[in-house]
Amino acid sequence: MKTIEFKQLDETLYYEKLENGLDVYILPKKGFSKTFVTFTTKYGSVDRTFVPIGETESVTVPDGIAHFLEHKMFEKEDGDVFQKFSEYGASANAFTSFTRTAYLFSSTDNIYKSTETLLNFVQEPYFTEATVNKEKGIIGQEITMYDDQPDWRLYFGTIENMYHSHPVKIDIAGTIGSIDGITADHLYTCYHTFYHPSNMLLFAIGAVDPEEMMAFIRENQGKKEFPEPTPIQRFFDEEPTEVAVKERTLHMDVQKPKLYIGLKAKQTGLSGRDMLKHELSVQIALELIFGRTSNFYERIYDEGLIDESYAFDFTLENGFGFAMIGSDTTEPVALEQAIKAELAKYEGNAQFASNDLERIKRKKIGFFLRALNSIEFIANQFTRYSFNDMNLFDVLPVLEELTIEDLTTAFATVQGESQQTVFKVLPTEKGEQ
Amino acid sequence: MFKTIPFAKGVNLHIRQTTQFKTVNFSIKWRRPLTAESASERTVLTNVLQHSNAKYTTTAAFRSFLDDLYGTVLYFDTSKRGNEHTVLMNVEAVNDQYLANTSVLNEVLGLLHTAIFEPNLENGVFKESIVAREKKMVIQRIESIFDDKSRFAQQRLQQMLRPNEPASISANGTVEAIDNITVASLFAAYESMLANDKIDIYVAGDIDEDEIVAKLKQALPFKDRTPDEIPAILPQKHPQQDYVREQHDMKQGKLHIGFSTPVRFGDADFAKMQIFNGVFGGYPHAKLFMNVREKESLAYYASSSYASHYGLLFVVSGIEPKNEEKALSLIKEQLAVMQAGDISALELEQTKAMLTNQLKESLDSARGQIEIYDQYKDLPEEFSVETWANKWRAVTKDDVIEMAKQVQLEAVYFLCGKEQAAQ
Repeated sequence: MKTIEFKQLDETLYYEKLENGLDVYILPKKGFSKTFVTFTTKYGSVDRTFVPIGETESVTVPDGIAHFLEHKMFEKEDGDVFQKFSEYGASANAFTSFTRTAYLFSSTDNIYKSTETLLNFVQEPYFTEATVNKEKGIIGQEITMYDDQPDWRLYFGTIENMYHSHPVKIDIAGTIGSIDGITADHLYTCYHTFYHPSNMLLFAIGAVDPEEMMAFIRENQGKKEFPEPTPIQRFFDEEPTEVAVKERTLHMDVQKPKLYIGLKAKQTGLSGRDMLKHELSVQIALELIFGRTSNFYERIYDEGLIDESYAFDFTLENGFGFAMIGSDTTEPVALEQAIKAELAKYEGNAQFASNDLERIKRKKIGFFLRALNSIEFIANQFTRYSFNDMNLFDVLPVLEELTIEDLTTAFATVQGESQQTVFKVLPTEKGEQ
Repeated sequence: MFKTIPFAKGVNLHIRQTTQFKTVNFSIKWRRPLTAESASERTVLTNVLQHSNAKYTTTAAFRSFLDDLYGTVLYFDTSKRGNEHTVLMNVEAVNDQYLANTSVLNEVLGLLHTAIFEPNLENGVFKESIVAREKKMVIQRIESIFDDKSRFAQQRLQQMLRPNEPASISANGTVEAIDNITVASLFAAYESMLANDKIDIYVAGDIDEDEIVAKLKQALPFKDRTPDEIPAILPQKHPQQDYVREQHDMKQGKLHIGFSTPVRFGDADFAKMQIFNGVFGGYPHAKLFMNVREKESLAYYASSSYASHYGLLFVVSGIEPKNEEKALSLIKEQLAVMQAGDISALELEQTKAMLTNQLKESLDSARGQIEIYDQYKDLPEEFSVETWANKWRAVTKDDVIEMAKQVQLEAVYFLCGKEQAAQ
C-alpha cells in the first residue's frame, strides 16, 4: 500500500493496485462519522461500439445499455440489493454518465458488511429475459420523465446540435424504442467486457481505517477469479470540428423561452496534467467573460435579458467537449445576439487582465477547499480525474501556475464561429401540439 | 452540540467549535409569522440585499470582493416551517489555516455588517430600479414552477388540501402580493425584520469562542426585541374537492396523493409516525418502491414524504397516464395492508437503521449540523443522536399499525397530457 501526502491540504491518501488490476484508493477524514464508498467502471453511454472480451469483431449495442445494465445490477436471484443495504442502515445508489457507471453507498455503521455487499453485487451479474423485460417499464417511465423536463431537453438538444456522429449526442438512458431491443445476452456481453477489475476503481473515504479496509478489499478480491485483463478496444467515427446543426428550436409546454449557445471543443485528445490545465483554463476564461463579476453579466442582467437560471459550464472528456451559456429569457433573440457579440470580441485576440485572473484564481481556490468538506465530491471527482489520468489534488498547484497565455490559448479552441450552435425551447403556440 | 449564548432579548447566538471542516460557516435566521404578504416582501428583500449594498453598489463590485476573499460564499434565502417564515443569510469562508498569510475571517465579519446593516439606498429607501428588477426576478422564479411538472403538481395538491394556509403558501410568496410591493413598503419590511424578528445566529468552524463572540457583538448590533408570537398550528380539515385531474402538454402522468395524520413534529407519537412513513414509502426497501416500481413496473419513482409540521403525508409517482387507476389502487392497498398488520420485523429494522444513519450522516456537514440543531432545539429535551435512535428503537409493530390506522386519504391530484387524459 502506498501513502501519498498532501501537506497543504492536510490530507493523506492510501493507494494500492490489486493483483486483479483493481485500483483502490482510501482517504480517511477526521471528524466524519460516515463512510462513503464508490465502485466505478470506466464505461458509460458513449461506449456503444467495441470488441467484446474474448472476441475479435466489433459490435454495436442498443442505445441506453450502460444505464440499463446499472439498473439490472441491483436485482439478484434472491431479491433486491437495496433491501440488504437498508438492513445495514446504508443509503445506496448508482449513476451512469457519458463515460462512467458508479455504484455507491454511504453509512455510519456496518461499513465492512456494506462494502462486501457493494463489491459482491457489482461482481455477480444475474440477468434473465424476464427480469430484463420487467425493467423496461421502469426505465420507460424514467425516459418519459426526462422527456417532460424542458431543461434536460435544452441541454441534450444543444449537444445533439453539436455532434455529427459521436455517441455523446445520444441520451444516456436511450429511447423507449432502443431499450426495447435489449436482451440478457447484450447485458452479459457489456458486463464481461467493461466490468473487469482492471477497468474499475474503488474509492473509500470518511470514517475509515486505511490498513483494515485495504486488507478487507484485498481479501474479498483475492477469493474471486477473473480472466486475464486485455485492453478494451472502443471505436468512434471521425468527428468534424464544426457543429452538425447551427440552430434548432423545440416547442414545449413552458411559460418562458429557454436558450443555450453551445461551443464545441476541438481540443479533446488531452489527458493527465495537460488536460487539467486546459480544462481549468477554459473554465476560468468563461468565468472572466460570462461570470457574475463581468461587464457582460451586469449589462444583460440590467437589460432584463436573463434571470436566475442563467448559467455557463464547460465539460471535457476524452473524445468530446463543449461549453454552454444560456438562460430562461423573455427575449431569446436579443440574448442570442448579445452572447454571440460578446464571443466575437474575443475572436482571435482574447484579452484577459491579470488582476481579474488573480481574483478568479482565488475564487477557485476557495471553491476547491470548500468542496473538500464534501466526501461525495472528493470520491466522485477523484474517480473522474483518475480515469483521465489526472489527479484531483493537482488542482491547487495547477491553478496557481496558470497564466494569461494559458487562458488565451485554451479559449481559442472553443470559440470559432463554426463551432457555435443555438438551441431554443419555446412555448407551444396556441392550437399547436 | 451548539453552545447557546443570549445575544440580545429575542436574539440567540449558537456556537460550535470544531476542526472538522476547512471552512467557517455563519447562518443568521430571521423569523416571523408566515403570510403571503410577508413571504413576498421578505423574498424580494433577500434579492435586493444580495444584489448590492452601500459599500459595493453593483453586483460586480460585491461579487468581486467576495471572490477576492477566496470565493467566500454569501447568499440570502427564504424558507418556511409550520406557521413560521424564515429569512436566512448563509456565509461560508475558507479557514485561514489553509491559506498562506491572509486573514479572511476579520474581513468576513465586516462583510456581515455591511450586507445586513448598510443597504444600498436612495432618498432613505431602496433604489427603485433595483427593487423593480428584483420583483420581476422573484415573479419569474414563482412562475417557473409551471415548467417543472412535478413541482407544479405538488403545489396544486397542497392548494387543494390547505388553500390559503401556511401549508400551501410558498416561502417565495405570491405574484399578486409581489406586484403590490413599493420601495417604501419594502424598506419598512426591512426595518421591521431587523428590529422585531426573532433571530438565531449560528457559527460552526475552527474558531476561538471568546474572540468570535466579541467580534460578532460589534458586527451584528441587534437590539432587544419582543418578537410576534408564531400562531399555533391550525386544526386539520377536509378539502372541498377530493379528486382533481388537470392537463398540460406532456407525456407522463404525475400522480400526487395527500393524506392527513393527527401526529405532528414533536408530538409524543412523532417517532412512531416517522417509522410508519419509512416503511410505507420513505426508502428503497419501502412498500411503495417494492410494489409500485419493482413488482409492477408502473413507475420509476414512487415514494412518500411526511410533512410533519402540517400533519400531512404526500405520495408522489410518475406513471403512464393509462395506469392512473391501477397505480392509485396499488398505493391505497399498501396503506391498507399496513393497517391490517402486514409489517415485517425486517421492514422495521431496516427503517430504524436508515433513520438513525440519515441523522448521523447529516451531522457530517456544518450546514447539516446547523439545520438539524435548529429544528430540534425547541423541543423540551436536549438533542442528541442517541436520544432519537432510542426513540426509534422503542417503536413496535403495533405502534406502526396504530399510526397507519390514523392516516387518512384526503385528496388526489393527477396531471397528464391533453390527449391521454382518462375518461
